[in-house]
Amino acid sequence: MKQGAVLGMILFIASESIFFLLLVLAYVNFHKTTGQEAAAMLDPVKTGLFSIALISSSFTLWMAEKSRPKNKGLFRLWLFATVVLGAIFLTGQMMEYGKLITHKLTISRDLFGSTFFTLTGFHGLHVFIGLVLLSVLLGLALKGRQNEPPEPGVQSVAIYWHFVDAVWIVIFSIVYLWRYV
Amino acid sequence: MTAESLPSGQINSLADIPEYKGLWSWVTSIDHKQLGIMYISSAFAFFLVGLSFGIIMRTQLLVPMNRFVAQDFYNQVFTMHGTTMIFLMAMPLLFGFSVYLVPLMIGARDMAFPRLNAMGYWIYLFGSLMLFFSFVGGGAPAAGWFSYAPLTEKGFSFDPGITYWALSLLVIGVGSVATGINLIATILTFRAPGMSLQRVPLFVWMVLATSFLVIMSLPALNAAIIMILFDRILNTHFFAPAYGGSALLWQNYFWFFGHPEVYILILPGFGVVTEVIPVFSRKVLFGAGFLAASTVAITFLSFGVWMHHMFATGLGFSVLYVFALSSLLIAVPTGIKIWNWIATMWGGSIRFTTAMLFATAFLIQFTIGGLSGVLFAVIPLDWQLTDSYFVVAHIHYVLLGGMFFAMLSGVYYWFPKVTGRMLSEKLGRWHFWLMVLGFNGTFFVMHLLGVFGMPRRVWTYPYGQPMVAYLNMFSSLSSYVLAFSILIFFWNMISSLYKGKIAGDNPWQAWTLEWATSSPPPPENFDSLPPVYSRRPLWDLENAAAKVPEGGEQS
Amino acid sequence: MDLTNAQSTNIFAFATEQARTIVQLHYATLAVCTLIAMTVIGLLSFIIVKFRHQDGNPDPEQYEGNLKYELTWTLIPTAIVLGLGIATAVVMHTINPPVGNNQPDVIVIAHQWWWEYRYPKKGVVVANELYLPEGVNTLLEMRSADVVHSFWVPAFGEKMDTIPGHPNHIFYKPLKPGLFVGACAEFCGADHALMRILVNVVPPKEYDAWLENQKKVPDAPTDETAQRGKELFLSKTCVQCHSVAGTTAQALVAPDLTHLATRQTIGAGVLPNTVDNVAAWISNAQDFKPGCHMPNMRVSKEEAHAIAVYLEGLK
Repeated sequence: MKQGAVLGMILFIASESIFFLLLVLAYVNFHKTTGQEAAAMLDPVKTGLFSIALISSSFTLWMAEKSRPKNKGLFRLWLFATVVLGAIFLTGQMMEYGKLITHKLTISRDLFGSTFFTLTGFHGLHVFIGLVLLSVLLGLALKGRQNEPPEPGVQSVAIYWHFVDAVWIVIFSIVYLWRYV
Repeated sequence: MTAESLPSGQINSLADIPEYKGLWSWVTSIDHKQLGIMYISSAFAFFLVGLSFGIIMRTQLLVPMNRFVAQDFYNQVFTMHGTTMIFLMAMPLLFGFSVYLVPLMIGARDMAFPRLNAMGYWIYLFGSLMLFFSFVGGGAPAAGWFSYAPLTEKGFSFDPGITYWALSLLVIGVGSVATGINLIATILTFRAPGMSLQRVPLFVWMVLATSFLVIMSLPALNAAIIMILFDRILNTHFFAPAYGGSALLWQNYFWFFGHPEVYILILPGFGVVTEVIPVFSRKVLFGAGFLAASTVAITFLSFGVWMHHMFATGLGFSVLYVFALSSLLIAVPTGIKIWNWIATMWGGSIRFTTAMLFATAFLIQFTIGGLSGVLFAVIPLDWQLTDSYFVVAHIHYVLLGGMFFAMLSGVYYWFPKVTGRMLSEKLGRWHFWLMVLGFNGTFFVMHLLGVFGMPRRVWTYPYGQPMVAYLNMFSSLSSYVLAFSILIFFWNMISSLYKGKIAGDNPWQAWTLEWATSSPPPPENFDSLPPVYSRRPLWDLENAAAKVPEGGEQS
Repeated sequence: MDLTNAQSTNIFAFATEQARTIVQLHYATLAVCTLIAMTVIGLLSFIIVKFRHQDGNPDPEQYEGNLKYELTWTLIPTAIVLGLGIATAVVMHTINPPVGNNQPDVIVIAHQWWWEYRYPKKGVVVANELYLPEGVNTLLEMRSADVVHSFWVPAFGEKMDTIPGHPNHIFYKPLKPGLFVGACAEFCGADHALMRILVNVVPPKEYDAWLENQKKVPDAPTDETAQRGKELFLSKTCVQCHSVAGTTAQALVAPDLTHLATRQTIGAGVLPNTVDNVAAWISNAQDFKPGCHMPNMRVSKEEAHAIAVYLEGLK
């Protein structure tokens, strides 16, 4: 059963890629009418900083995987760093949402609101789920029992987390960096 | 084997298996065989509901300007007919066959993720019940099974029907993707020693292809559904042209899912007849390599034809050409299969059991449905006939005359394995002939109705068109024959469950691994496995000369 | 609604140049498909008879494939479909070429559940009954005011969806005069089945005369009942939705009624156009077209009759 876990996660990610692809394409489809607003309302520099946090969390997760099974202590540390960095990203996102909403840019105001919040919102939801999964791994690691968390479990969550990261790179480029093209 | 269970040599019916006793063992089951039976039973229950909706529709269309049902009820009925038949009947039916048969055919103990398997079933059941709750929860959806925007926006569909439709399909879709992942993981990692991918029964190969289609196409439906839900609930504007949204965006997203979906529906049926035809012709499958390769071709091509559902929406010439060509080309790998099946029968020693009768009818009916599909790929003809009863004829020939007949062939073939009892051949023949009569009578004339200008999804038609009136009446009367034949089928299943002849391990002298264990199989599936050197392990066992892998196969 | 005086709605009873081309392509494609179907059915019939199991027969020879045959039945169908593809391209270009700089002769605007027709070059707006000139290749622009509908007159050939936010175009060159009927061909809600299309193809002279008449403001009513009807029409909520040229009724929500008397049906093909039918429709359109956007007008029978007499005088 365990050997299937990684394969199962890869298949799930293939499926989710199509889902995100279509949300991105919806954003792109309406870009002619929404591009200006995106340029005016979004702050690529600030969001870029939080993006660095998310991308670094992939690095810390990779370091965590590498330190298994030799060094349990390092594994827990790197894993903890991953969770913290992911949480920083989500906090940044929420702050950005807050700022937009106080400027009356809501999901229902216009097509920009519709496409922006849907796309980034679902990404954020996937980050949140990832944080839950990583916390479960961390909890199991802290409990200190032999062979926990199980290797296939760590590998599949890692694949998921890297995927979520990769999706963000695409979203960030298209939504925040398009104005520079 | 547990201490309580019988040695598999003494298992003759589901009642002989203590692990399956009692409702609780079924509700909490993670056994792929129990779940398969539950999927198939639920599918058949929803089939009866969908069939009743069809009968209501045909009765309303019996005569012009009929008042059998009110127009808004009719619109809910035709929407629920399509939605039920596709998502609540056909999908679970093919999943049921797949999760039941795949582990057995590859010599495995169960699926890769048994608990995920159970989740898939229960999510389907509850999603389906939620959809039907709409009838009492404010109104069933009434915008057709593909819910075109902006009709589905709140402004045009005030009642919650569309929201029920969207939420239910989202829920059911999650289950489908989970099952797809499960099937792929099982097929790729759980095969018996010696069973390379070139040696899996072609039903398994078709299920593998189907599962890829499932996991890659359902997300498109999910994305579209989320957008219409947001439009309706959160006041976004994805599909509202008045706010700059796009009606065509819905159509593109839906059909990007919708077209692979119809291949999802038909490929397992192809797999069934690919198992049935060789066994009853007593001949090895002709051209297994081309059959497998054409399946791969269909899988990829099916993502490149979706705009043929939108030929009349005013796309540019280049877009139209590309999709016309891809839609024409996809007929080629589909056609190859028909010729290969016919070639398998050629020179055989054919026993026309009920299973074989259904498989043969499938060949003819699916060909007719496929050819009307080719006709639609010729765009100017599509411009005439799309959205008319000609399409209704096409879809029922491929889905009912094709897929459902193939699955019925599978039921008559595998019922003995699943239950330990043979279905009555006598009742089977009554079922078959009445169904052929009823099905073709109902749906062949719909080609003509389309030619005579009858659009689809209409709750009535005007006076003054005698041919339209006669053909509608003929179709409706035939539909009653079709419905009656289904009753015979259900009677056959129920009575055979209690009074059918004991089947034994391999009543058809078939060759794949599921026949190398008792009928029904014990919970752990196999006491021991025969060696696997080819796609027909039991044939090889019989004809011991085949210790060497068979030559001449393409992979 | 009785369609017995209309031309056949059989797609093979072509009535435009474009439809004729489609019919020819149709025959060719049907011939190919029938040939293939007959081959399959023929082979299977032969097999069913010849290769039926007989007791005592030896086991059949097991052959696993034949590359030559399989390539043949791969390549021949490929050639056939490519041939169909070429025919497709040629016919597509012929019957619906790009619009270029042409301005539309008619703008079709689909509504839930009626058809608005505008003749922009002449400034004419009508509802539910389209007039086209015989022998003239006419350009129609297809639009929608609400949801997706589809304009389909089988005898005319191609159908075209009317999609809000996405105007389409189509060319029709009618070959013969007559009354042609069609239907909305994309499910559009409650009364999709009662959104019929009526097209009158008339010789060009008659067409011009019809257009001229439609441009005119109708004469004021002289009959007493009609005058009373006009007062009622203008004072009740009719004017919230309908328009009649030369009056204060200028709303665009519902069919224009300026020349209602010249139409053969009302309600987009639901009822023949007579005073009694118009009165009944005014009283409660929901009786005849349940779910349409015209409510029960809550007028007395006498009032309805008066309004109907007025409207039937709008020639």
